[in-house]
Amino acid sequence: MLDTISTGPAQGAAQLGWTGVVRFLHLAPRAFLPMRAAESINLVAGRGIEGDRYMIGNEEGFYSHKPEEGRQVTLFELETLVALKRDAGIVLGPEEHRRNVTVEGVPLNHLVGRRFWLGETLLEATRLSVPCRHIEEITGKAIFDPLINRSGLNCRILQGGIVKVGDTVRNAA
Amino acid sequence: MKARPITTVKTVVTGIEAAGAGIKLFTLADPDAWELPPFKPGAHIDLHLPNGLVRTYSLCNEPADNSRYVIAVKREADGRGGSRALHDEIDIGTVIGVSLPRGGLDPDARIARYVFVAGGIGVTPFLSMARHLERTGQADYKLHLIVREEVPLADHLGALIEQGRIVVHRTSRTGRPDLAALVGEGGGDTLVACCGPEGMADDFERVTAAWPAAHVHIERFVAPPPVIDPDAKPFTLSLARSGAEIQVRAGQTMLAALQEGGIEIAASCCGGICGACKVGWIEGKPVHRDRILSPYERERYLMVCVAGSDAERLVLDL
Repeated sequence: MLDTISTGPAQGAAQLGWTGVVRFLHLAPRAFLPMRAAESINLVAGRGIEGDRYMIGNEEGFYSHKPEEGRQVTLFELETLVALKRDAGIVLGPEEHRRNVTVEGVPLNHLVGRRFWLGETLLEATRLSVPCRHIEEITGKAIFDPLINRSGLNCRILQGGIVKVGDTVRNAA
Repeated sequence: MKARPITTVKTVVTGIEAAGAGIKLFTLADPDAWELPPFKPGAHIDLHLPNGLVRTYSLCNEPADNSRYVIAVKREADGRGGSRALHDEIDIGTVIGVSLPRGGLDPDARIARYVFVAGGIGVTPFLSMARHLERTGQADYKLHLIVREEVPLADHLGALIEQGRIVVHRTSRTGRPDLAALVGEGGGDTLVACCGPEGMADDFERVTAAWPAAHVHIERFVAPPPVIDPDAKPFTLSLARSGAEIQVRAGQTMLAALQEGGIEIAASCCGGICGACKVGWIEGKPVHRDRILSPYERERYLMVCVAGSDAERLVLDL
C-alpha cells in the first residue's frame, strides 16, 4: 500500500489540483559564490543548467565530489520562504536557499517520482533535497532545522529548453 | 570527476600594488568576475597559499565592493612564512583558495560612535570600517593610528588623515599615547576596537575592562597561546563518518591529535579566534574554549584547536 499513491479519484485530484509559476531563477558557477538572479536559464537535457556549478561536466559545486545524476536542476517553494518569515521570524531571500528555481503554487513534496513541465522543459523529480550545514555557513542563518522536510526538490531534465521567470509549472500526464 | 570536496572559494590574484615600506596590497577576484561571498566591515579571510600555508588577513576594502577581496600584507622577514610567500612567490594570475569571510563588526548595530585604535599594519580592518562608515554616514568615528614613524598605506589613508578622521600618533616623536585617554569614557552607544601587536592589545584590554563586552572588540596579530587545564585528562575521539578512533593525550589539542592521526583539518590561528577549524560534534561533553561560537553554534560545533572533552569519548562529525 505504501509503495505508491492510490489510483482513482485521489490520484486524479493530485494531478489536476495545481498549476504553479516560476518566480525566481538563480545560478552560480562555483561553490560558495553568491547565487545570481537571472530572467531566464538554459536547461540542457541530461546534464543541468548552463553556467551552473552542478551541471554534469562542470563539477564545481560544494557537493560535486558526491556526483548525482538526478541533481541536474533544483527547485524550492516560495511558500517556504513566506512560512520561515511568518513562523520562525527568519528572512531568507530566494537568492539564499541556493536552489535554482523558486516556484509558487507547486507542491514539490508530492512530485517525487513524477514528471512535470517547467515552462517548455520536462523534468522528472528524483528526490527531496535535504537541508545542509553548508547553507548555514554561507548565510550565517540558523535555517537547518526549519528547513527539514521543505528544502526543495532535485530533478533530472528529460527535455531541455529555456526557462523564464513567469513560466507556468504544471503536471505532465 | 573531482574526488576531493571543494572547501575554499576559488580566487585569482588580479592586482598587486606596493603600498609603503614592505607592504603590498593584493586584490583577489573570481576568475569570471562573479560577486564574491559577502563580508562585514573589518572581516578577515584565510588564504590557502600554494605552498600549503594557511594564513589569515583582514579585508581592507568595504563590503559594498563585493567583486574583490583586498588584503594588505607587510613582509615579515622573521615571521612564520605567510607574508614572505605572498611577497616573494605570488604573481598576478596565481590561483588562491580562500575561506568564507569571518568576523567583522555588525553594520546594523545601534552604534553612534566608533573609536578605533590601530598599531601599524593593524590599521587594515579599520580601513574597511572607515570606508563603510564614510560611504553610509551611519555613525561617527575616529581612528587612532599608532606608528613608530612611517604611516602604512599612506596613499589610502591620506585623505582621512587630512579630514581629521584618522589621528596619527608617532611614538618616535611623542612616545606612546595614553590609551585610556584615546578611548575616553565611552557610553552606551560607543564601540571601541583595537587591532595591534600583543602589548597594545593587552593594554587596550586593561583600559576597557570595565566596558560592556559587546562594546569592546580586540583583534590580535597572533592568537594568544591556548590555556590548557593542568588537570586535563586523555580522551578518545570517535569519527562518525570514517569510523576511526583517535586518542587525545592529556593536554594535547584535538587538532594535534587529529593531524597525528592523518586527518586533514584546515586550521589557522590555532587559538580559538579565527574559526578555520570548526568541526561538528555529535555526542559527548565538549568543553568550548574558543572566543567566537555563539551558544547556538556550540550545540553543534566546536573548534578543535582549543576545545576539550569533559567525557572519555567525544563523537565528531568527521
